[in-house]
Amino acid sequence: MTDTIVSYLAKFGPFKDLLEFLTESYGANGPTLFAFLIFLVGVIIIVTILSTIGGLGTYAERKISADMQLRMGPNRVGPYGILQFLADGVKMLMKEDIVPKDVDRLLFFIAPMLALTGVFGTLAVIPFSSGFTLTDLNVGVVYLIGISSLVGLAIFLGGYASNSKWSMLGGMRGASQIISYEIPIVLSILAVVLLSGGLSFGVITRAQGGWPHEWFIFHNPFTFIGFFVLFIGSLAETNRAPFDLPEAESELVSGYHTEFTGMRFAFFALAEYIEVFVVCGVTAALFLGGYQVPFNLGGDTIWGQLLQLGAFFSKTLALYYFVIVIRWTLPRLRVDQLMTMCWKYLIPIALFNLVGAGVWMWLFKGKSLFVLLFKSGTAAAGIH
Amino acid sequence: MFDLTLFFISAVLTVIGAIMVITTKDLMHACIYLLASFLGMAGLYLTLGADFVAAIQLLVYVGGVVILMVFAVMLTGGPHAQKQNKFGMIKTALMGNIRTYTIGGLTAVVVLLMMVKLYISIFKNYTAGELPNYLPTVERIGKSLITDHVLAFEISSVLLLGALIGAAIIARPRKNRIN
Amino acid sequence: MSMSNLDIYMPILMLLLLGVLLVGITVVLISKVVRPHNPNPVKEQAYECGEDPVGSAWSLFNMRFYVTGLIFIIFDVESALMFPVVAVFKSMNEIGLGGLVLIELIIFITILVAGLAYCWRKGDLDWVKSYKMSEDSKEGTGIEND
Repeated sequence: MTDTIVSYLAKFGPFKDLLEFLTESYGANGPTLFAFLIFLVGVIIIVTILSTIGGLGTYAERKISADMQLRMGPNRVGPYGILQFLADGVKMLMKEDIVPKDVDRLLFFIAPMLALTGVFGTLAVIPFSSGFTLTDLNVGVVYLIGISSLVGLAIFLGGYASNSKWSMLGGMRGASQIISYEIPIVLSILAVVLLSGGLSFGVITRAQGGWPHEWFIFHNPFTFIGFFVLFIGSLAETNRAPFDLPEAESELVSGYHTEFTGMRFAFFALAEYIEVFVVCGVTAALFLGGYQVPFNLGGDTIWGQLLQLGAFFSKTLALYYFVIVIRWTLPRLRVDQLMTMCWKYLIPIALFNLVGAGVWMWLFKGKSLFVLLFKSGTAAAGIH
Repeated sequence: MFDLTLFFISAVLTVIGAIMVITTKDLMHACIYLLASFLGMAGLYLTLGADFVAAIQLLVYVGGVVILMVFAVMLTGGPHAQKQNKFGMIKTALMGNIRTYTIGGLTAVVVLLMMVKLYISIFKNYTAGELPNYLPTVERIGKSLITDHVLAFEISSVLLLGALIGAAIIARPRKNRIN
Repeated sequence: MSMSNLDIYMPILMLLLLGVLLVGITVVLISKVVRPHNPNPVKEQAYECGEDPVGSAWSLFNMRFYVTGLIFIIFDVESALMFPVVAVFKSMNEIGLGGLVLIELIIFITILVAGLAYCWRKGDLDWVKSYKMSEDSKEGTGIEND
C-alpha cells in the first residue's frame, strides 16, 4: 500500500527485533508504537536538517548574490562565513519583541505559527529517497498543495494583524498572488499525474528513470513547457523575486512582516526558505526524476538509499541555485503584470499543456519523445 | 490506537473550532476558528478512510474558502463594522431576535430528530468488528467518475461555469456606484 | 510490510504539532527569558509612513482581490474534480479507454475555458480597473493606490 519510512526500516535487523519486541509486549499496539518511535525520530531529523538547509539558504543567497555583484559575501563568522545564519538566528532570538499597540493579538501570534506549520506539513510527503520518504501518501500531491496554502493564509494574517495600511495591502497582495499562482501549478502537476498514473510522489518518481532522457521534462514538448510553468508558478508561490512585491512594498517598508520583530520574523523567513527548498524538491521529483539514479543504482540497500538521497539533493539544490540567481538577475514585476501573467498567460498555457499531454499519451500510447525517435520498434517495450 | 488518537484530536478541533466560531466577537477570529474546524474535518475524513476527500478538503476548503472568506470580511469593512445591539453590547453571532431563535430552534429540533432516528437503527444492529482495511480511494473515485457518473462529472463543470459567471457578474463594480 | 492503516498519517500530525509547539514555545517562553522588554509608547506605534488612504477608495480597490479569489475558487474546485480522472488516465489508456477519458476531460476543460474567456473579455481579470470608475466617484483622482 503506502510505503513509509517505517515499512522500509522494518526490513532491517535491529528494527525488526525492536518491532517484534514491541509486538510481544503490547500486542496489537506494538506496530503502532514502533511506527510512532520511528516517525518521531524521523520527523525530528528531517526538521533539523531542513531548518539547517533553510538557514544555509540565507547564507547561500548572500554569497551567490555577492558573487554575482563582484563582492565578498559574509566571511567573518566561521570558515568562509558559513555560520552566519546561526549568528543571525541568535541575534533575532535576543531582539526585543515589540508588539505594537493596536494589533490583533491572537492573529499576530498565529501568523508565524501558521506559516511554519504549513511548511512543516509539506515535509511529510517529500520523496527524499525510496526508503526515507516519511510517508508516501496515496494522495501526496494534493495534500502537499493543500497544506502549503496555509502559508498564503499566514501571509494575509500577518499583514492584517499588523494593523497598518501598508502591511494590510502587502498581505492582501501576497495572498492573492499565492492563490492565483496555485492554479497553473496544479495544472502542471495534473499533466505530470497524467503521465504517471498516480497521485503519490513515489509512483510519479518511479515512472521516471535515472537518465535525463527518461525524465518527464523531456517526455514530450508539453511537459517541457509545463516544467517552466511550474517553476515560474513556484517562484510566485514562495514570494521570490521577481514576484516579491508583497515583501518589498515601496522598498522601504517590508510589506506584510513589517511589524514582526525578532523571532516572529525569523519564523516567517525560515518558513520562506524551507518552502523554496520544498518547492524545488517537488519540481525535481515531478520533472527531473526525483531520487532516481542512473544505471538503476538506487535500491533497497543503504548505499542505494544514499545514492538516491544524493541524486535528489543535487537536483533540488541545482534548482535552488537557479532560484537564487533569478532573484538577483530579474527586476521585480508590478502587481498588475504579475496578475496578468498568471491569468492570461500561465493558465491558458497550462491548460493547453494538460490537453496536449493527454492527447500525446493517447496517440503514442505513453511513449516519450526519445523512445519514439530513437527506439521505435520492438526495443521500445523496455521503457514505459 | 492511533486511529483513536486521530479521531479524538480531529473531533476536538472540529467541535471547539465550531463553538468558537459562533461565540467570538471578532469576525476575523471567527474565520480562523473556521479554519481549525476545517482541519479537524479533514482529520475526521481520514479516520473514515476517505483519504482523497480529506486531501480535497485541505485543497479547496483550507486553501480556498477560508482565504475567500477572509477577503470578504476585509471587503465588507471587517472588524471595524461591528454593530451594537440595542443594549449597547457588541453583537456576537449568538445574539439574535425572535425570528432567528424560532428558525434556529425548529432547525435544531428537526436535525435532532433525524439524528436520533439514524442512530437508533445503528446502535440496535451494532456489533464491534475489526477496523476496515483502509484502501486507497483515488482510483475507485476516478473510475466511477468516468464510467458510472460521467454525467455528474460534466454537469458539475456546467455548474462551475454558472457559478463563475454569476460571481463575476455580481462582483463587478457598477458604473453608477456612489461611495 | 507496507502500512495500510491510519499510522501513515502519523508524521503529518507530528509535523503540524511540532510547528505549532516550536513557534509557540519559542515566542512565548524564550521571549520572556532572553529578550529585553522595554515597552515605550512611541515604539509601539504602527509604522507610519505616508498617509492613510481615503476610506471609500480603499473599498473600491478591494474588489479585484475578491474577484481574483472567486475565480480562483472555481478553478480550484475544477482541478480538484480533475485529479481522480487524470490519475486513472494511464491505466485506462493501457486497456484502450484512453480516448474516452480524454474526450470527457476535454469537454470538462472546454466548458471552464469558456468561463475563463468570458471573464477575460469582460475585464474581470484585469488588475487595473478602467479609469471610468474612479472618475465617476467624487474623490478618486485616477491615481491607482498601488
